[in-house]
Amino acid sequence: MDLTQLAASLSEIEKKTLKALDSSNEKSAKDVSTQSGLPIDSVRRALQWLKEKELIELKENKEECIKLSPAGKSSLRKGLPEKMFVQALKELSGKETLDAVKKKSQLNTPELHASMGLAKKNAWISIQKGEKGVELELTGLEKDLLEGNYALEKALEAVEAGQEIDGTERAKLLKRGLAEESIKVNRKAALNLRGEKTLQNLGNVTKRAYNVQGAVPKIFIGKRQPYVQFLNQLRKKLVNLGFKEMKERLIVQEFYNFDVLFQPQNHPARTWTDTYQLKQPQYGKLPKASVVAKIKAAHENGGNTGSRGWRYNWSEKIASKLMPTAHGTTADARQLVEGAEIPGKYFVINRCYRPDVVDASHLVEFNQFDGFMVGKGINFRHLLNILETIAVEVAGAEEVKFFPDYYPFTEPSVQLSAKHPKLGWIELAGGGVLRPEIVKPLGIDVGAIAWGMGIDRLAMFKLGVKDIRYLFAKDLKWMRESRMVKP
Amino acid sequence: MDERKQDGETVMPSVKVNLKDMQKLIGKKISLAEFKEAILFAKGEVDGIDGKEITVDVKDSNRPDLWSAEGLARELKARLGIEKGLPKYTVKKSGISCTIEKSVEKTRPFIACAVVKGVKVDEDFLIQMIQLQEKVGTTFGRKRKEAGIGLYDFEKMTAPVFYRGCKDKEIEFVPLEYKVKMRPSEILEEHPKGKEFKHLLEGSDRYPIVIDSKGVVASMPPIINSQTTGKITDKTKQIFIESTGFNWETVNTALNVIVMALADRGGKIESVEIKFPKTKTYPKKSVHTPVFDTWSIEVELENIRKTSGLELSNKEILRLLAKSRYTAKIKGKKVIAEYPSYRQDILHQVDVIEDVLISYDYGKVKAAPIELVTTGAERPESLEVDLAREVCIGIGLQEILSYTMTSKQKQTTMVGLDEEKEKFVELANPISENYTIFRKRLFPELLEFLSQNKHFSFPQKIFEVGKVVALDSKSETGVEEKNILCIALSGKGAEFNTIKGVLDAVTDNLGIKYSLKESNFAFLEKGRQGEILFAGKKGLLGEVSTKTKQNFGLEQSTVILELEI
Repeated sequence: MDLTQLAASLSEIEKKTLKALDSSNEKSAKDVSTQSGLPIDSVRRALQWLKEKELIELKENKEECIKLSPAGKSSLRKGLPEKMFVQALKELSGKETLDAVKKKSQLNTPELHASMGLAKKNAWISIQKGEKGVELELTGLEKDLLEGNYALEKALEAVEAGQEIDGTERAKLLKRGLAEESIKVNRKAALNLRGEKTLQNLGNVTKRAYNVQGAVPKIFIGKRQPYVQFLNQLRKKLVNLGFKEMKERLIVQEFYNFDVLFQPQNHPARTWTDTYQLKQPQYGKLPKASVVAKIKAAHENGGNTGSRGWRYNWSEKIASKLMPTAHGTTADARQLVEGAEIPGKYFVINRCYRPDVVDASHLVEFNQFDGFMVGKGINFRHLLNILETIAVEVAGAEEVKFFPDYYPFTEPSVQLSAKHPKLGWIELAGGGVLRPEIVKPLGIDVGAIAWGMGIDRLAMFKLGVKDIRYLFAKDLKWMRESRMVKP
Repeated sequence: MDERKQDGETVMPSVKVNLKDMQKLIGKKISLAEFKEAILFAKGEVDGIDGKEITVDVKDSNRPDLWSAEGLARELKARLGIEKGLPKYTVKKSGISCTIEKSVEKTRPFIACAVVKGVKVDEDFLIQMIQLQEKVGTTFGRKRKEAGIGLYDFEKMTAPVFYRGCKDKEIEFVPLEYKVKMRPSEILEEHPKGKEFKHLLEGSDRYPIVIDSKGVVASMPPIINSQTTGKITDKTKQIFIESTGFNWETVNTALNVIVMALADRGGKIESVEIKFPKTKTYPKKSVHTPVFDTWSIEVELENIRKTSGLELSNKEILRLLAKSRYTAKIKGKKVIAEYPSYRQDILHQVDVIEDVLISYDYGKVKAAPIELVTTGAERPESLEVDLAREVCIGIGLQEILSYTMTSKQKQTTMVGLDEEKEKFVELANPISENYTIFRKRLFPELLEFLSQNKHFSFPQKIFEVGKVVALDSKSETGVEEKNILCIALSGKGAEFNTIKGVLDAVTDNLGIKYSLKESNFAFLEKGRQGEILFAGKKGLLGEVSTKTKQNFGLEQSTVILELEI
């Protein structure tokens, strides 16, 4: 590293320290701190770094000195015993027995006797023998001691602050074990030649150069939940294909979930093992009577649809029962009842509910993607085409196959299997030509085709998760680390 | 519309067969691969192979005739070109009768019977019979309500047979797999099958009983057979079959499906004369069952071409129908398709059109695009929800996604609300304590999220935009579904002023002018919370109370904001 680069790589602290040094005068950390305004600890660290970078000479000279012993430190904190002794006597109104002073001052016996001796010697107290034993009395000369003018106390403070002290006091401290002899290391720094040149280069440097390979703190950005990203992309694709989005409903009448879709009321799929039912609320309202009458007729005898119907007594009460939506086709039913544009293309992404045991491949709550098309001349071949388009657009299918299938609401019905680049052949979607029993009572006389799929598996693949529960996972780490989902 | 809906044994029957038995029934040595391919034409799908046993999911819940090895073989024979047109069965008169007595009219009015002789009972036979009887009773018979089947060793019965409604005290017999005689009421209380199907006989003081001329009880349909006659073993040579229910067509379809399967294994079918009581419920004359009559349906040729989108010639249509086991002829602009009466799934021309297409082979139909001039559009609420997300992302928040179903505890007691007073949209048949109601508030889900991520770095800043569902008697669905935005911030500096700053950022950017008033929500800290009002909508914000944080095990200071969208 040349010296220009070296200069550029210095931190602000190093730079300030360097500027406070020169080559002729040796300076201590304290000198540098005063001159640069940096805290002394920062200066000490900077001097060490600069020495390692070979920009300064750091000389150490050793000096004999004294420092406080643990007893000295304790005395500095609590007060010297003789001061505590006199203080106690003063608080006891200036005249008391030795026992009372001992109790008050909490000094131990050797300290007590030493303190009493010192107090007598300094004439802070007078001692008499009285009725209650040894009696002590302040003389008035203790004033200097108590007001902080005691030479020994001052010496303690001076040693702690690293100042020079008078030889008498020094001897007293050592004798009483309040201080110990020690060696002080003084570091003095001066610029060397490299340092001088670097200092000259500092003027040319504007910003510190970083170690560009170094790690930096992580930033977690705000973003959409991965599954939501996938669903949004799906929605956009369908809109681009000319489809209108239908309203998503979580709670629906059985009428829309089953009856409009020609599922007979005694069908096993309508029992509690296959669909959720509600404790409350229980019943909703049906649409206008003329529509209800036509659906009823379609079930009972086919009505005007050319069908035999299911031949049973259709119950309005069962149809008005409420339930959590069990499949996305419910939205088709509702749209058809409310009126679909002809020609029309509709889709929905609907949260659906089924009683199931939750495991790696089953949820009780999941999204389904359904849609339908109505228009003059629509036939089975168009159904295959739209299914294929969706498989390619949504699932990235490379190849598709069609098989016969069964749905209560379509005839002919078809299952689409798609060859996925990674998953191989998967059953992707179901669809069919909507039964006349569904569309005719609703006044639709043109072709109508419908399709639907559970999109969880595709989403799992897109998001790279193996467990379906991850789509709703409460895992912040996964969300923070997951990449943006590519369309 | 997806694969999941048909899950569950009651809706989609899965049939176990073995390939060797299938080859015998079809009369051709087809390979497993050929079987797999062919079965697709019967809307079947091989779900698993375990040794010799192949499990086939039959997707059509209205074709009981397919729910056995015999039935699948019958269909495959036509698909493979071994047979075509209507399946033919010969029925000889047995000379015996079964009299329906007036006493059973109110309980379970119909019975249809048959006798099949010369059957060789082996393991495959027994497996298939038990399986078919079960599938027909469960799926087609709607858990035996609409149709229940019984098979008996006919050599242990003495004709004629009677179908009678007995009072509890009038009858007792030993039910299958039991050793002691029991009264009907005791069977319903104690026998496993009695307990399972008890509800089917509720509301009548009479019990349906099949009994022979010597007073030997054969069964109490559709609950249980008697131990005396109701067991088929490898020694059984003649089988008596009955099917009971409420609808004459349904009962006969169930009977035919069983009888055909027995005949496919070499049995000779003999009919039983059903004698009816003279009431309005029944036909005037007696009927010999099984009735292998045919039904016919007229299908417009043009409709076949229009629906399929295929230019099929009349001759081709006839060929395809024969392959689907119809016997058909052209009459003017229509084709008259004759089909076996058990095909009760045929309700409309379209059902025949699908069979034509299946025989044509879906794989050979060319997809064709259609141009419909339409404009695509998202729902306004989808756009609004996504705008709210946009704002939150701009603030630097991570979106999360949770379930709309949740537990009552999480929505009440854990956030200091009274479980008794709070009303929710509630499930009648929950299967887990974690999902019993629909959420009315969003923030408890976010608090739970935080509680599960305490070991990751703070601050944690999350949001969710989703639906909440509340009871609303004025709505046609009895509920109000609303989209809510909820934000939660957790970590140092998460205090009232921080979340209020977030509120201002959100509302400014969404163009909302709100007013804020002091509030007193139990789950928020006193004096550090508020209720938001704007354009008839509501929201709330504040510091999560110590108690609520404790309930979720949260240690860091946490603030929340909820806003209707």
